[in-house]
Amino acid sequence: MSLIRWNPARQLERWSPDFLGVQREINRLFDDFFRGGMQSDTTLGPSYWTPAVDIVEEDDQFVVKMELPGVNKEDVKITLETNILTVQGEKKHEKEEKGENTYRAERSYGAFQRSFTLPTTVKSDKIDAVYKDGVLAVTLPKAEEARPKQIEVKVK
Amino acid sequence: MGNNGKESVIRRGNSALARRSETMERFITPVADIYETADAFVVKLDMPGATKDSISVGVEPGNLTAKGVVGEYHGQNSDLLLGEIGRRSYYREFNLTEGIDHKDVEAEFEDGVLTIRLPKSEKMRTKEIPIK
Repeated sequence: MSLIRWNPARQLERWSPDFLGVQREINRLFDDFFRGGMQSDTTLGPSYWTPAVDIVEEDDQFVVKMELPGVNKEDVKITLETNILTVQGEKKHEKEEKGENTYRAERSYGAFQRSFTLPTTVKSDKIDAVYKDGVLAVTLPKAEEARPKQIEVKVK
Repeated sequence: MGNNGKESVIRRGNSALARRSETMERFITPVADIYETADAFVVKLDMPGATKDSISVGVEPGNLTAKGVVGEYHGQNSDLLLGEIGRRSYYREFNLTEGIDHKDVEAEFEDGVLTIRLPKSEKMRTKEIPIK
């Protein structure tokens, strides 16, 4: 289990999604700028990228969706430790004919890793992951005690 | 792309705008890899979440368009804790060089990646000349 950097913005997620959007764009700019050699996170190897994620909370489960176009599902590893969900893997270059001329190379390749702290405990044995059309969807059912309870109050 | 670059930017801007008013969906420009082999140009576009049925590729002289619509989204009774993807669809337009065999263009969609293969016409292909 690697250390997860503390991210103060995580606290703001619920209150200000717009702020996060702006911050993410700035992060992306920096990611692009520093890609290739200068990044501080050396554990992921020479090139890495950050896939986009949506996390949704429903009454009885969390759904984590991650965009992983062109990634082989065999190259994806999902782990849960306490309440920290980690998705990591590698996007390998497709076997292509020897390109004599490359006109554009905008797509990302290399290693990726993202970790998330879930707000409540989940049933670790009931986690389900599906990869379809380049999107990984991880469904994490909430543990019983974390589900919202309806208490009926009788009016006398 | 060359001196036609300006025109294609304008066109792309207009069509994106028109589409925006049609739906509430967000059309984004998918990232692309483009490379050339001995007998074809290959365009690869990342369109994660798009359904195979929604993909459309249009080829006409000088112009290539690719479109894809993302299928299912989150349910109504859900609370978005982190939203980097959002409801999105894909649209991108490219200028095409001359010398492409339009009727033999092939497209394939797999694992969220659209691969378009544009074969070169006979006269554009790299020929190996045998040495006598």
